[in-house]
This record gives sequence, C-alpha cells and structure tokens, in this order.
Amino acid sequence: MQPYELSLTRAADAIRNRQLSPVELVDSVLQRVEQVEPRLHAYVTVTAEHARRAAREAEKDIAAGRHRGPLHGIPMGLKDLIDVADMATSAGSRVRAGHRAQADSTVAARLTAAGAVLIGKTHTHEFAYGLITPQTRNAWDADRVAGGSSGGSAVAVAAGTATFALGTDTGGSIRVPAALNGVVGLKPTYGLVPRHGVTSLSWSLDHVGPLTRTVEDAALVLSALAGHDPRDPASLTAPATDYRPGADADLTGLRVGVPRSYYFDHVEPEVEAAVRRAVDRLAGLGARLVDVEIPMTRYIQATQWGLMVPEATTYHEGTLRTVPDLYQADVRVLLEAGALMPAGDYLRAQRSRTLMRQEWARVFQEVDLIAAPTVPVTAVRAGQETITWADGTVEAVSDAYVRLSAPANITGIPSLSIPVGHDTAGLPIGMQLLGRPLGEDVLLRAGHAYQQTHPAPARTLTPTA
Amino acid sequence: MSCPKLTAPEAARWAARAGLPLPPDRHGAVAAVAHHIHTVVAVLRELDFGDAPLAPAYRADQEMPDAAV
Repeated sequence: MQPYELSLTRAADAIRNRQLSPVELVDSVLQRVEQVEPRLHAYVTVTAEHARRAAREAEKDIAAGRHRGPLHGIPMGLKDLIDVADMATSAGSRVRAGHRAQADSTVAARLTAAGAVLIGKTHTHEFAYGLITPQTRNAWDADRVAGGSSGGSAVAVAAGTATFALGTDTGGSIRVPAALNGVVGLKPTYGLVPRHGVTSLSWSLDHVGPLTRTVEDAALVLSALAGHDPRDPASLTAPATDYRPGADADLTGLRVGVPRSYYFDHVEPEVEAAVRRAVDRLAGLGARLVDVEIPMTRYIQATQWGLMVPEATTYHEGTLRTVPDLYQADVRVLLEAGALMPAGDYLRAQRSRTLMRQEWARVFQEVDLIAAPTVPVTAVRAGQETITWADGTVEAVSDAYVRLSAPANITGIPSLSIPVGHDTAGLPIGMQLLGRPLGEDVLLRAGHAYQQTHPAPARTLTPTA
Repeated sequence: MSCPKLTAPEAARWAARAGLPLPPDRHGAVAAVAHHIHTVVAVLRELDFGDAPLAPAYRADQEMPDAAV
C-alpha cells in the first residue's frame, strides 16, 4: 500500500509512531496528483512547493517532539470557496478573476494550526450554485458527473490526491458528491463549524464540513473544525469535543428510524436495495429499526428554494449588475430570476422552516437517528439533464440530487453520508444518517460501527490509475 | 396551485423594480425560470402557519439543550 492510499486515521497513526514521515506522505500524494489529475481535474490550484515545505516543517516539528495531533502532516484539499491567505478564492467563477484572500478563513486557520498540509484548492460548481461541478470528472467513471458542488473535494479524496478535504453544503453539496464518489461526507449541525471566510451561497442554509475516506477520519477533522467563532453570526457556543468514535461496534438500544415516506420514493432499485442492506446491518449490530413518517414532505423543495434563491441573488446583487456576462449561463439565470421573488415568499419559507424544525424534533423523540439514501441515483452521465422514473415522472438531475439532502439543510440537523456499496455499473451508493441537532457523536458512532463490521469493505480508493 | 405564466415584459418590469435592469435578450429566459421557481414556492401558501415565527437564524444550542445522547 502506498502512503497516498492510507486513511487519515492510519496515516496519523503511522506518523505518530514514526513509521511514516509527513514528507513521504505528501510526496506520495503529490505523485498521485501528477498521475491522475490530468484526467480528473479535481484541483483548481495545486500548491506543491508550499506542501513540500510544510511537510518538511511538520517532519522537523514531530522529530523534535512537537506533535500537534492527528492532522499534523496530513495532506488536505480545500474547496475553492474557502479563503486561504494570499491565495485566490475563485469560487469556480470568472467573476472572481484576480481575487486574493487577505486572511485565512476560520476553518483554514484551524486546520493549519492543527498541522494539516494544503495540497491545493478544489473545484466547485460556480459559487456552489449547482450539483454537477462540470470541471471535474467522477473518480469512478470519467464519463459521469462528479456531483457538486464540492465535486473537486470528493474526487480528490476518492482518488487519493488528498487524504481529506473540506466542502460546503447548502442543499447537499458535501453529501451528494461524497455519495457519487464513494467517500464519507459530513454536514454538521448548522452553526457548529464557523463559516467566516467562506463564500456564501445562502447564509441560512450554508454549512462547512469534511469529506474523508472513513467515518473515523471525519470525526478527527470535525474535532479540529468545531468551535465558536463570533465572526460567524450563526456560530454555536457548544464546547470543544473530541468526536472520535470508540471501538465498540455494539449498537444495542440505538433506535434507527427508517422512513416510510419520501426517502425511498423515486429511488433507483439498486440504491434502495443497498441502503436497506446497510440498515439491516445496523440492526445486526443491535440497533432497533423503527418506521418513521417524514413530516411536511410536500413543502421541502418549496422551503429550500424559498430560502436559497433570494439569499443567493442578494449575495450576488452587485456583480450581477456590473459583470453579469462573467457568470456561467446556468447560474446567471437563476440569480437573475431570484430578483423577481416577492419578499412574502421568502418569509413564508422562513415560517415553513420553523414548522419543519418542530415536526422533525417530534420525529427525533421516537428515534436516535434516521437512515436513508443520500441520493436517489448514482452518478449520471455528463450532460444528462433529467431522470425519467418508472411511473413516467420526469425530474431534473439537480432536483433529484438535492431532494433527499435538503431537509437537513432546512432544519439544520447533522447528516453523515457513508458509502454502502456499488450498483451493477460499479458506481458508488451512499447512505445518509440524520441525527438530532448536535447529535454528531451518534451519527459517527453508528457510521463507524457499520464501517468496522461491514463484511466486505469496499475499496476506499477508486481504481483510477 | 396554478398561476398565469410570467411574460417576458413582466419579467423585465419586475427586475427593473427590483433594481436589476435586464437587457432585452434576457427577458424570456428569466421569465421562464422565475415562473418555474414561483410554481415551486407557491405551494407554501397552502400552509396554516398559525403563530409560527420566522426562523432567521437556527440555534441548535438553544433549541435542544438535551441534544446529546
């Protein structure tokens, strides 16, 4: 096994035990970048020299006994919506030509302080307003979409060109590409991870979180990211926590909700079968399965759009007037159309969110987590715009990819996507675990138990080479 | 919930009122997308909101003091 293939947890253990140096790890990842990046296009910018220098410093510090923790010397990718001082935050857009961030975002600063080594900035769908990331190829099949908007981050982790990465999630943009590329994606509770210095799509729906190869890896990254920052008005004051799950895979007593409605409607049979097998696996570990009814399903898309569309347009108000031609066509028309939404629609969406949060809280009185597909279909072919379901219903690909993710953005609850197999075309399938606000520990415990005991662990790295 | 289709001239007028004057070649496309968004969002008018307030900022720490399991 090459160093680039190691999970974060295994790499961190090897570094701590002096079996691997950060220089060896970073060199291996950079060689992997040279090998596969020309085909995958996960990165906007690769900071190879910076990474080698940082790795040498990490090696020196660790040799001198100054080991900062599990992220010290670990190569990472950051979605190119996340500010890193003196680097451009292109947001996947020509609108940002010539941009240079003056300071680190909170998350970049925290990861740097933890000793992580930046490999580069990863591609995003323009301003995170889309589910495809057209610049990037799926790590399992170059003819398929990477998913988005954190497509570059997911592909980099899946392909071994980053040991972990960060993404953002406004309507599934961490979890969707994680599912489509066979990696773990965590959208934390709204406000748990500060967004200061991260380009916004929709303030009331935006989250930042990790993409990793294992659940345990996601826990390690979350532990470094979480914590109050007054510069993000939504930032929570929850105390610092070590999220690393214990080794015990016994889930006895855990109540796992299985949706009777919504999450298994208009879902590819192979996706449904894989997720139900994974749910049965949780039951095999001792969890009690409980049927649950998902509330207010008729209003999920309306609430998501009623919040996101006007907030996104407002963020871009200035540049939409001055340089509209610099936006891609799909994003420009959405931003322009958002200017036509009456305030009453936005306010109704905010009130609907209040009702939805109350209803979801009631569901979580009956269960400790809910297990469901992350996305209803695996990665579609690049250029495919719609999906026709067995009953003849036609759905836009982007609507299908957001559909099962949006509830967690609207309600702010945490959601963890984990790989649970492949379809007959060899494409990854994801299951999401949804929990109570600040219930990340429960999701990580259940997800880790699943991954520890899965009878035939899927390859965590793609066969791309 | 049906609603008359937004026309291109209406989209142009609404956009201008919103402070975003659109060039003529944008009117049709923006009208079509705005109409689609409207048809999706309009279902919220069915809801009985009672006294439900806005949710401008979600604060999990204030809502779920017993969130840990």
